[in-house]
Amino acid sequence: MASQELVDTRDSATHNLNPGMEGGAVPGSGKTCPVHIPGGEDTKRAFRKGIGRHNDYVKISVPDSKVNLLPTEWWKTALAVFYAGFNLVLTTVVITVVHERVPPKESSPPLPDKFFDYIDRVKWAFTVTEINGMVLLVIWTIQLFFFRYKSIACRRFFFLIGTLYLYRCVTMYITTLPVPGMHMTCAPKLHGDSHAKLQRILQLISGGGLSITNSHLLCGDFLYSGHTVMLTLTYLFIKEYSPRSFWWYHLMCWLLSAVGVVCILVAHEHYSVDVVVAYFITSRLFWWYHTMANLQTLKCSPNNYLTNTWWNPLFNFLERNVQTSVPCTYSWPITWPPACLKNPCKKYSMVQSTREE
Amino acid sequence: MKKVVAWSAEDVSNWLSKEGMPEYIDALCQMDGPALLKLTETDFQKPPLSLLSSDAGQQLLERLETLRIETHIEAHKNGHANGHIVRLPNGTTKPQRNGSLAMKDFSMEMIHIPMPTIEATRSSFPVEWGKTGVAFIYAVVCFVTTTVVISVVHERVPPKEHTPPLPDKFFDLFDRVEWAFSICEINGMLLVGLWLIQWILLKYRSIIGRRFFFIVGTLYLYRCITMYITTLPVPGMHFKCSPKLLGNWEAQMRRVMKMIAGGGLSITGSHTMCGDYLYSGHTVMLTLTYLFIKEYSPKRFWWYHWLCWTLSAVGIFCILLAHDHYTVDVVVAYFITTRLFWWYHTMANQQSLKETSQSNPFSRVWWYRLFQYFEENVNGMVPKNYQLPFSWRALQWNRGVKYSRLDSQ
Repeated sequence: MASQELVDTRDSATHNLNPGMEGGAVPGSGKTCPVHIPGGEDTKRAFRKGIGRHNDYVKISVPDSKVNLLPTEWWKTALAVFYAGFNLVLTTVVITVVHERVPPKESSPPLPDKFFDYIDRVKWAFTVTEINGMVLLVIWTIQLFFFRYKSIACRRFFFLIGTLYLYRCVTMYITTLPVPGMHMTCAPKLHGDSHAKLQRILQLISGGGLSITNSHLLCGDFLYSGHTVMLTLTYLFIKEYSPRSFWWYHLMCWLLSAVGVVCILVAHEHYSVDVVVAYFITSRLFWWYHTMANLQTLKCSPNNYLTNTWWNPLFNFLERNVQTSVPCTYSWPITWPPACLKNPCKKYSMVQSTREE
Repeated sequence: MKKVVAWSAEDVSNWLSKEGMPEYIDALCQMDGPALLKLTETDFQKPPLSLLSSDAGQQLLERLETLRIETHIEAHKNGHANGHIVRLPNGTTKPQRNGSLAMKDFSMEMIHIPMPTIEATRSSFPVEWGKTGVAFIYAVVCFVTTTVVISVVHERVPPKEHTPPLPDKFFDLFDRVEWAFSICEINGMLLVGLWLIQWILLKYRSIIGRRFFFIVGTLYLYRCITMYITTLPVPGMHFKCSPKLLGNWEAQMRRVMKMIAGGGLSITGSHTMCGDYLYSGHTVMLTLTYLFIKEYSPKRFWWYHWLCWTLSAVGIFCILLAHDHYTVDVVVAYFITTRLFWWYHTMANQQSLKETSQSNPFSRVWWYRLFQYFEENVNGMVPKNYQLPFSWRALQWNRGVKYSRLDSQ
């Protein structure tokens, strides 16, 4: 009897084994990789239970072939939004603090700048920049709305924005550059008046720091340029998460971005070095993050120097369960109830419906 | 089976029937071995052979060719079997009835085994001093450009009375210490010296030297750009900037030469020009030499790494203490140096990052083609092996076998 049972359980074990092996092995399950832990806890518990009951069979854990490679995990996105929000508020506070220390333009004239030597100031150029920035942001929001893996893309966007603004806090605070042009009107300094400062902070946050909304009255936030960061980052994200064949779309967004950045300089609102450093830091951070996220081999590689950054633990936390590069697929975000769409013929569409999981 | 040259007419007939060509037996019944070998195409164009053959004797001629080759091989069997490349007659459109030479006659056991020509095994880490030379020239060009740009920018620095030093958080907290900058430069020279010694002792010095020159060159090139586009005022009133030479090219040239000769250090008296603040070249050298020293030395030398780290950190702190650079110069320099170093080395160590592809955002940097040129033949991570630059054996008079941690040449 016991031998019969043994044979039966062994058969069932082999039956379990076969379909699993066709599914392929989970990447990184062999080595001790800190990032990928494919659901170890449940199997261990079940195993222990089984061992307790029947001492005569061996459980061979089969990798679950239906593991979701791109889990949504909206709570991580919420944390990223919180991180970005915190950094934006911090930036606003730092701008208010730095404003007190900006030397008056009479005593500290604008620094010599190569671009300003060649091109004179054009008054309405900064409005162009801000309009371009808002347009790009709206385009990116719409694109994100229709993107299938919104939570992942959103999470990355907010994390990068937060980190870039954090760096900006640091560079703004340590050294204060004078105003780039005599045309700039800075709000008067409030020496020690905390209540008024708080009001200023709220005004800046509510206006988004834009001149158009009259919230860009504070000076001193020159190194490096936040407008360049937004323009560059939205363009990079738009390009990364849209189909490669939409070259006209990419070109249009690139033009919006480039014109916006050049107009910052034409309006003499930032020094050239602010814009160059902002572009450099934004693009490098974006490419660095996406290389780490897309190349799975890097995550467990020992000679991966990309993990030497301070934000590597945050990155691991956010991207731990994303096991493949995010494919560029779009879908209608809202699913209609089936009763509404009674179509006898099957309709083929370029847009993937969320029902087809 | 005796050789074809020794065949008699009967042997020829036997062979013909064995080959499946009985129609020729009668016509060639008078032929013996050597005569058979002498048959050519022209013989088949005259009767009686032209009447017998439907294909102008092609098949028979092919078989004869094979026989001739066999004869040739037999003659050279001992010495030349390895080097022979047996070529069956070209342009054969008719399928051979018997297939290959080896299967033709079981008594002629000739099997040709092609021997692969032994190529020189390619090392994963080829030396390629040429590429190191290119990197060196690149670094030198960048250094010279930086010096020229400093000289140009010096003319544009606003006088310190006109534009006072910018407010800086570090300067508010710490007052100026006069001798601090000398410490920084001494540390810098020590680190460069240590790195040079370490580099000479490395086994793969060409590859590592190439990397160092490329990274240093690129960092100084970036520095040219940031220095040039916006000119920061002097960080402290203690600065003594040499007078401006407005338009005097010869004097400017001489100034450039003096700076290059002194390496841009204050100690050597060549750091008299102002305006090169964003970003700090001293920080770049201190950080980069430390990163290279740490990267290419064994992990167990932790005391050595700590020493170099201390030298580097103290040097950087002293730059700020001496009020010789703004804080933002130092921070930006550190950031750019570390990012470039890590970026380059990650790309160099991962084979998958050496190709341009959609999933490789690293390939979008402007220097990617240059990087590929330098690192295309390097496979994998360069091991940290040490080797004396000259051959130790010439000086060795020890008769015993000596084991050493250093690789011999």
